[in-house]
Amino acid sequence: MSDQATRVLLIEDNPGDADLVRLRLVEGKSPVDVNCVNRLSDGLESLKESSPSVILLDLNLPDSQGAETFRKVLQKAPNVPVVILSGQDDEALAIKALHQGVQDYLVKGAFSSSSLDRAMRYAVERQALLRSLEMSRKQQLEFKNQFLSHVSHELRTPLTCIHQFVSILYDGLAGEVSPEQRDHLKTILKSVNQLGAMVRDLLEASRAESGKIRIEPRCLAISDLVRQAVAMMQPAAREKEVGLEVGVDTRIPLVHGDPGRILEVLINLIENGIKFTPSGGAVTVQASLVPTDPDFVYISVTDTGCGITPEARALVFERLYQDPNAIDNNRKGLGLGLFIAKELVTLHGGRMWVASELGNGSNFSFTLPLYSLAKLLFPVITSQSRLRDDIVLVKVGLSPLSKSARAGWKDTCQRCLEVLQRCVYLDKDLVLPAMTTGGAEETFLVVASTDLKRANIMMTRIREQLGKVSDLGDTGTLEVTALVVPLPDRAADLSLDQQVQEVAGAVTNMVRSVLGEKQGFTEQN
Amino acid sequence: MANSKIMIVDDDPDLRQALRLRLRANNYDTVNAVDGYSAIALAYKEHPDMIILDLGLPAGDGFVVLDRLQKDDKLSTIPVIVLTARDPQSSERRALQAGAAAFFQKPADNAELLEVIRATLPKAATETVLPS
Repeated sequence: MSDQATRVLLIEDNPGDADLVRLRLVEGKSPVDVNCVNRLSDGLESLKESSPSVILLDLNLPDSQGAETFRKVLQKAPNVPVVILSGQDDEALAIKALHQGVQDYLVKGAFSSSSLDRAMRYAVERQALLRSLEMSRKQQLEFKNQFLSHVSHELRTPLTCIHQFVSILYDGLAGEVSPEQRDHLKTILKSVNQLGAMVRDLLEASRAESGKIRIEPRCLAISDLVRQAVAMMQPAAREKEVGLEVGVDTRIPLVHGDPGRILEVLINLIENGIKFTPSGGAVTVQASLVPTDPDFVYISVTDTGCGITPEARALVFERLYQDPNAIDNNRKGLGLGLFIAKELVTLHGGRMWVASELGNGSNFSFTLPLYSLAKLLFPVITSQSRLRDDIVLVKVGLSPLSKSARAGWKDTCQRCLEVLQRCVYLDKDLVLPAMTTGGAEETFLVVASTDLKRANIMMTRIREQLGKVSDLGDTGTLEVTALVVPLPDRAADLSLDQQVQEVAGAVTNMVRSVLGEKQGFTEQN
Repeated sequence: MANSKIMIVDDDPDLRQALRLRLRANNYDTVNAVDGYSAIALAYKEHPDMIILDLGLPAGDGFVVLDRLQKDDKLSTIPVIVLTARDPQSSERRALQAGAAAFFQKPADNAELLEVIRATLPKAATETVLPS
């Protein structure tokens, strides 16, 4: 067979039709090499082995009918042009097929050798063109990301240089400076920091666009994060004489999220609030529960600023949006902050929106998923629609040797958690998310469906495996203990859900006493 | 009390100078290396108490230096703080896993950097008494 022969995969169950197509193909101008199968499954199988130049496809086959047929073929061979040869002159189906990526739709008996030959050749050309367009689109996106990453990296070196030398002057390390000079230097430092934030946002926005932002969720108290963000923004608020207030319900259960990223979102919203609020106004950060949406915490940042027009409300989360009517004569940013903030919240599984009236301030709100122990525990502590017989809570405590833990300690703990994940059975045990603690000590907890005797085997395994984590031996100590979780009274007439709730409650109480009253660790019903 | 000696590894002369001024103002002695190769050689010669390391370096980048330091019995105990223009998402974890004690992206907050230097310096070095 010559190399130039068009390799045709003909998927057609009717022998008469198949012969006719073969005849048309042989009569055509260019040499063809036909492989004919009469079932879709055989066609898909043959695509695994070799890739034809073109697929000629009948839609009604013994093992597949209609649109389903071309969908399966396109899925299997997205890069091979598909021409449908159908018995039905169904325009709607033909258009649907083209929209999904089929190259042509011919009606049996209505085409000649030369038109079939031409349809096939054009289908091959069009497919190649589409592919190269798609590839160049991907290359361009990749190039844009690389470009932004390169630019933001290269901008940082001169930026750092300015920052360092100005702060050396400002701090008086190179001789005394007059109060007026200090003022000017402070203005420079402020601008350099703005520039630094813009460089960072540029990279973040390009990442958000290509889905490359990573989040590492853990279990955390949202009240701590709100307080931290407010403390960080307090100086800026004071400078502008804008009040910055907190209203957080401390009974809010733990949230499942990435603390660094959530802090970023909070700071962004508070910063905006301060920026658009005149002196004498106030920015309030609130966190609360909404009874109609029990799986989420609602966090809002409200200001008494200039407000947003209805038209602008639809645009504030768009990339590069800047408020043209900003009363504040502060410098504008890149217009990426809210875009990034919304992306971060969406990555957490939450939503972000704005409510505002021109002249009456704005209210930016977002939701974050609550950490639900009962939901996570359900598959672990139940088996075949009943509660398991024995449940044990294993505590793995890590404490650093020296009080001022080296910065690498956090990373050692992270590695220990990864090793711990591999010491348990995925379907039977649950490693609880790490709890954010202020101190250097880290406690990991495993809920295991096993009795105390077998828990001992698990503990030995954990001690052995964690003992192999480099650094841990030099920098900290390891303590592994187990506690039996009390089970609800079987005699009591409880539904499985109620039993799980009761166990989750018991585990929560034990976790709380083990961690020593960690704030916010309450479980909802 | 003898000053702790910090080795600065950075290929940018201005950044080296700025960091040197900042560290000297806080009573640290400094030595400079401009590339990965001389960093290792100088670490042998000078026995610094700490290394502040850039990642993008000629003649062996920061990760190569970290790796060499970790594998060397004489040098593996010296704490390393990585100070780089590179992005934390792509480099922080890798640097910490390679043995760095801390990671800062440039421009770093000076107060924060000095605080981590203080906390990370080996105790023995800060408590060494001057020979009489």
